[in-house]
Amino acid sequence: MSFREKTAWVTLLAIVGVSLLYWFHVPTLFDPHPGTWVLHAMAVSLLAYLLIECVAWIVLRVKYPQDARTPKDERERLIDLKAIRVAYYVFTACALGGMFVTLHVVGAHIVGLGMVIFMAFVLSQIVKHAARIVYHRRGA
Amino acid sequence: MAPTLVTNSIRQLRFAHGEMTQQALGERVGVTRQTINAIEAGKYSPSLEVAFRMAEVFGVRVDEVFHYGKASR
Repeated sequence: MSFREKTAWVTLLAIVGVSLLYWFHVPTLFDPHPGTWVLHAMAVSLLAYLLIECVAWIVLRVKYPQDARTPKDERERLIDLKAIRVAYYVFTACALGGMFVTLHVVGAHIVGLGMVIFMAFVLSQIVKHAARIVYHRRGA
Repeated sequence: MAPTLVTNSIRQLRFAHGEMTQQALGERVGVTRQTINAIEAGKYSPSLEVAFRMAEVFGVRVDEVFHYGKASR
């Protein structure tokens, strides 16, 4: 497994872990009176993700110093671009679909709308890193 | 992904050059071992620059490393 694939796994697991905790503890997407704690939970989740990512990066850099110093080559840059393209489509579809459902079908409030867009972003990041892993496994 | 028609003789050339490892070739060309592996297996077609650098490492012409439309593996 290449160093870039390892980093993709770390990021994917960190995002999935933190977002699962977040969505299990913030089930108030359509609560008519959301508290500011929703935003606090979002901030805490973001900080937790950054912390996990930083620790994992340090561990990987210490364990594989040579690989960590090596710049990305053309195939790895291509893989990143292809994964970003897939994530872009996922984000656009989820954000637009989620906004339509939230506003026109369910009738949720502005915080709910923000959470839908945040969910679309998180999902697109999960797809992006999963796509990176798949492309690394396939060769390109 | 559509299979590429570009084939190569990298494996033969590596063994003809003192059983050069993919890691060693990658270091000399400036790509990772995984990229050399992907090129060798026909899963990834490299840029012209990388192709020329590979040919330079082996001391041959580019068309002796890469072939279009004929199976060499």
